[in-house]
Amino acid sequence: MYTELNSILNTTPDSFTQGGFILVSDRHSDASFLIHHFLSFYLRARCRVCFLGLVQSFSHYSAISQRLGVSLAQAKEKGQLIFFEGLKESLSVLIPQEASTASQAVDFLRDPTVGLRSLYEFVRSSLSSFGGGEEVTDGAEEWGSPVLLVDDLSVLLSLGLSVGAVLDFTHYCRATVCSQLQGNMVMLVRCDGQEEEDSGDEGSERLLKGLTHQCSLSLHVQGLPTGYCRDIHGQVEVCWRRRQGDGPHTQKKLFQYKVHDKGASFFARGTSSAVL
Amino acid sequence: MLSDLLQATDAGGLLIIQDFASYSGRHLLKSFINAALNREEAVHVFGFEISEAELKDGLKGPNLQRLHFHDAFTDPLGWTDRPAFTVYQFNLEKLTHLVEQTSHHKPATVVIDSLSWILSHVSPPVVCKTLQQLKKGRAVRSVIGLLHADMHHIGTVGSVCHLATSVIMVAPGMKGDEAVAKITKRSKSGKVMQDEEVFSIKEDLTVMVQNKLNQTGPKQTDPEEQESDPAANLTFNLRLSDTEREAKEKLALPFVFSKEKKTALLHSGPGSGRILYEPDANDDYDQEDPDDDLDV
Repeated sequence: MYTELNSILNTTPDSFTQGGFILVSDRHSDASFLIHHFLSFYLRARCRVCFLGLVQSFSHYSAISQRLGVSLAQAKEKGQLIFFEGLKESLSVLIPQEASTASQAVDFLRDPTVGLRSLYEFVRSSLSSFGGGEEVTDGAEEWGSPVLLVDDLSVLLSLGLSVGAVLDFTHYCRATVCSQLQGNMVMLVRCDGQEEEDSGDEGSERLLKGLTHQCSLSLHVQGLPTGYCRDIHGQVEVCWRRRQGDGPHTQKKLFQYKVHDKGASFFARGTSSAVL
Repeated sequence: MLSDLLQATDAGGLLIIQDFASYSGRHLLKSFINAALNREEAVHVFGFEISEAELKDGLKGPNLQRLHFHDAFTDPLGWTDRPAFTVYQFNLEKLTHLVEQTSHHKPATVVIDSLSWILSHVSPPVVCKTLQQLKKGRAVRSVIGLLHADMHHIGTVGSVCHLATSVIMVAPGMKGDEAVAKITKRSKSGKVMQDEEVFSIKEDLTVMVQNKLNQTGPKQTDPEEQESDPAANLTFNLRLSDTEREAKEKLALPFVFSKEKKTALLHSGPGSGRILYEPDANDDYDQEDPDDDLDV
């Protein structure tokens, strides 16, 4: 959890707006540090978190969270974290060992045309069954509002799903998690093409645009336009698409950042310690 | 022109608000809903991209009871068991049925949020046909639709917009809360009017039109340019009085070649030096090679 980012977004683990959809995107850069931030943030805020980790293994996320001061294994044990390990689950479909272990959630791997309905069912069942407080048994702790984190959506495109199918999935997640359960959602999308490029890798661009229309807050991470720099790793554009207090409808701010071993610093453009 | 559109949309009209990822047109759509409610019209919203709570946030007052929300947000594809309205039901019969159910034979305003959602699941010709039928139908007074133009092919956007009587394209403005609206309006006679306006939406959803870009815009900037004199507040003097100017013109500058100077240099006065050279006998001067004495 990066406290500097919290003050930029005006949130703390004790008080944050509910029902928001935060879109994290990157272009020629790596925004996964923000996913780690939000994961540790919501775990500290005592939310029930469903994490769809499609690109890395559990131990990867666990090791990084350990550095940020949160234990994923413990959270998983306590039932606070539901971790969906995409790499492992897909393996059981691609190389079936025992037919019974294959999860329904990754049905789309067999036939991408069926869409992501089964993955949505997984999200819904893992988040909503506890939200109603029906299963508070044997002294299990009660957790706050549900949170869905996805790292990352672009992988689904590579697995053969259409942009429309992914957008349907996010729409249903938004309707269930943000609207019905008053929880939050954080999703990561990667774009490697040029911004104005119409042809070529059109899928991720369309996905990004579609999600931008859906989201309430977007964090777009880019490399520096001037190239690599040792002291500034890139810039992040924060864009609020809902009215914040008495501010304007759409508000944009640009920050530069540097990721450290155990955190990240954010500063206004041109105010890096390397410059001043 | 934007305020005209807000005040009264003609019966049988189709208004399309086009937006892009950089600026959401939903705020303007809400203003249109608010304006229609204030005109005591019944408004039916088919919400695909927005929940009922989100839509009603900001809309206040007793008029709200005339707002009917048809929930296509929670389950538009029928994935769960209790779909209220699915995207496949987007046809004239179903829409007319839903509208007539509640609005007591008074033509209503239908708001679709958004057409993009429908267009990505139903083929464009079917959507266009339904829109056209709705426009002509008796149950509906006017249709207002939101369209994310960057989500579709140009051809799809074009064919939907051809049906519209008015198209408003919104884009972010230069500062803060401002936005730019490019309006194309087709009147019944076939005349097409285009305009570009800067507007901002206040908290109570009223639209403030700032100015018209192409008409009063340049005029307003002119006086500003005249007013700003860069030499106004200087700590030193940049101007000359008449006596100062006279004195300045009298002064002869040092390296200017005046007539007096020229004559003084050419006709040197008495007492100035001169070099006379008479060759000595010892001088070994070779006519052929004058540089002979040089040790080259």
